[in-house]
Amino acid sequence: MRKSVTLLAVLGLVLGLCGSGPAWAAYPDKPITFVVPFSAGGGSDVMARAITKVFQDEKLLPQPLVVENRPGGSGAVGYAYVARRVGDPYIIATVSSSFWTTPLTAESPVNYEDFTPISGLGLDPFLLMVNPKSPYKTLEDVIKAAKEKPMGLTVGGTSLSDDRVCTGLLEKAAGIKFNYVPFEGGGEAMTALLGGHVDLCWANPGEALNQLEAGRAVALAVSVEERLAQLPDVPTFSEAGYPQVVHYQLRGIVAPKNVPEEAVKVLEAAFKKLHESQAWQKDYMERFMVTPRYYNAKDFANAIVERNNAYIAVYKEIGVLK
Amino acid sequence: METLELLINGFAVALQGQSLLACLIGVIGGVIIGALPGLGPSTGVAVLLPLTFGRNPTTAIIMLAGIYYGAMFGGAISSTLINTPGDSAAVMTCVDGHPLAQQGRAGAALGMASLASFIGGTISIIIFTFLAPKLAEAVLWFGPPEYFALMVMGLSTVSGLTGKSPFKGMASMLVGLALSTVGVDLVTGKPRFCFGRPELFSGIEFITVALGLFGIAELINLAAGESGQLKRTEVKLSFRNMLPNKEDWGHSWPHILRGTFLGFFIGMLPGAGGTIASFISYSMAKRRSKRPELFGKGAIEGVAAPESANNAASVGAFVPLLALGVPGSATTAVLLGALMMFNLRPGPLIFQRAPEFVWGLIASMYVGNVMLVALLLLFIAAFVRVLDTPVHLLVASVFVLILAGSFSLNVGIFEVGITVAFGAIGYVMKRLEYPPAPLVLALVLGHMLENSFRQSLIMSRGDMSIFFTRPLSLILLAVAVAAVVIPAIRNYQRASASRSI
Repeated sequence: MRKSVTLLAVLGLVLGLCGSGPAWAAYPDKPITFVVPFSAGGGSDVMARAITKVFQDEKLLPQPLVVENRPGGSGAVGYAYVARRVGDPYIIATVSSSFWTTPLTAESPVNYEDFTPISGLGLDPFLLMVNPKSPYKTLEDVIKAAKEKPMGLTVGGTSLSDDRVCTGLLEKAAGIKFNYVPFEGGGEAMTALLGGHVDLCWANPGEALNQLEAGRAVALAVSVEERLAQLPDVPTFSEAGYPQVVHYQLRGIVAPKNVPEEAVKVLEAAFKKLHESQAWQKDYMERFMVTPRYYNAKDFANAIVERNNAYIAVYKEIGVLK
Repeated sequence: METLELLINGFAVALQGQSLLACLIGVIGGVIIGALPGLGPSTGVAVLLPLTFGRNPTTAIIMLAGIYYGAMFGGAISSTLINTPGDSAAVMTCVDGHPLAQQGRAGAALGMASLASFIGGTISIIIFTFLAPKLAEAVLWFGPPEYFALMVMGLSTVSGLTGKSPFKGMASMLVGLALSTVGVDLVTGKPRFCFGRPELFSGIEFITVALGLFGIAELINLAAGESGQLKRTEVKLSFRNMLPNKEDWGHSWPHILRGTFLGFFIGMLPGAGGTIASFISYSMAKRRSKRPELFGKGAIEGVAAPESANNAASVGAFVPLLALGVPGSATTAVLLGALMMFNLRPGPLIFQRAPEFVWGLIASMYVGNVMLVALLLLFIAAFVRVLDTPVHLLVASVFVLILAGSFSLNVGIFEVGITVAFGAIGYVMKRLEYPPAPLVLALVLGHMLENSFRQSLIMSRGDMSIFFTRPLSLILLAVAVAAVVIPAIRNYQRASASRSI
């Protein structure tokens, strides 16, 4: 009896070692949890589900990604959940602006230093929008009016998010002051613009396209260095003489801190293949008008720090941070 | 007449086998999701969304829409039978639906809820069919000052939710308003009263509170043996006895019609939605009813008014979604994501760009409503059997359902804690006869009330006249003032008249 127990124990140990030893070569050997720190149906969720589909269709990893929505606290709840799993390569999360803004503004318990960067995937630029009935037809009109009447023009945007940052950048570049009206979400700010309740608002191309096509809103300028392929008539801020107004939402993937180097390599390679996939470019990037931009793990780490500094600089400028 | 032609084409899509099947699956799923405590339509749609990928977009959206309005039907079931709101728009249905069940009229209450939902839904779809793009313009009249005025109007209806003592109702409302200040501040971005818990950053979830105040409080009450055994209809469970009688209809039909129009228009406004619509519809019904004293004790029109309103609101929410491309509610926000994934970009152009989709969807809503009312009326007898469950089993199993529902909201134990805490508070409130509904209403409205007030003042740079110089805002505020002042004057006159006798 005792013998057999020992035998079983030894057998178990050996099997266990075999199981775990070479398993590293075979990472991943079980499904990877893909946390979206927001509710289903939002921008990050849409991206995560599109990624999962391409991963599955094109077999980019031997194991599936399983999307898990962990909403709450503008991303703080989901990111804290992922950050707790230090060293675990079987959990990854989407990155969007809240990855930086929530820790900076809302004293969230974790920040970018608690994560291992995997890959950057794309940028969402911001468009400065007006109502077609508005007297302002160009960026110059807006700036002229704002100079004549400081605080006279209202800008709608989502609380302290990218919209606030873009407003701050333009104010500083042009030496003007807008009256910023915070809304809960981009949809509300857009509705206020359509109804003529605010003079200006900011929107991602994906959010704005419906309104642009229907002629219910006009884009005056875009916040990246080059004009967008889909909106060739919309000038950049640099063309108008405000090269400082460059801001975008960086989208990508992170894992918890201290994930084994080998696992980062495997994930990085898979996301690079994703970036190169036709289906991904067509079904996600084009459809949602995200500008594709791939960053490997190292570049993404630098970009994350650079983004964080950019947010801090603007928040200090506008008095949100001391 | 062009509309009719398009609608007929829409029916050609909606009556195809796979559309019918999708619609049926959607509405049944919706009823179940609606009836399960806590699980609301936005969660339901989000969870089932991935299953629809790779399918025909029209079929998929027909199914998801079915879940949405199906949930509005289903919410009444748990509200009535176990005093636990199935989703947030069904809270008001508890107030009179459950007392009716205790009086052995659960069948009539559910029958009325289904029929009121059906009428509310169908009239709304008719309005939608013919007027959607025009109505979308009305949505745009609402800026922050108008939202503020609308929220004030909503709060002014609290007087219709209080029981015997107006003081206790007001106290309950003030607690709700205070709770609504928890969360990250919109303007400064700083957390308020969050005690470092990120779970509280986006505020106290309204449904977690409602599950405790209504559901758990009732369970404690049941377990304590104070509200007496729930009883089933004494009369035989024939189909006829299930339906509301002529007298019930006499009391209910004006409130159903008012609830429908109210619900549709409030549902259209982004952010307002079915919950607020059902509250306002209920308190208007109480105010206009010939027997307001019966409200809260089992007035059948107290079930009809909010149920017609929340269904109408779920249809109204499609107006801004389809015609403007902006979501009108949490659920349509998820649907917007779904539409984008199917490469159907909602907005003014969708009516021309994808007519077979838009009209197929609209037609499917007519079909879905008929399916729902037929299904529910058939199964009411089965639902009512729940009340036969011995109290000890009922209490235990409903308790588990409530906790699971609360857990499912954000997949976190924190929400469960909130629900349990409010269960205890709810029981104390019940013993002391503080009505829970004003607290819940204030919690729903408080957030938007504060935000729209501050947005308005930022727009006007501190000038309060913004609320009175915009016509629509002025009208809504005047209605709110009248809603408070007129009953007060009437009471005063009545009081002085009785004194002079």
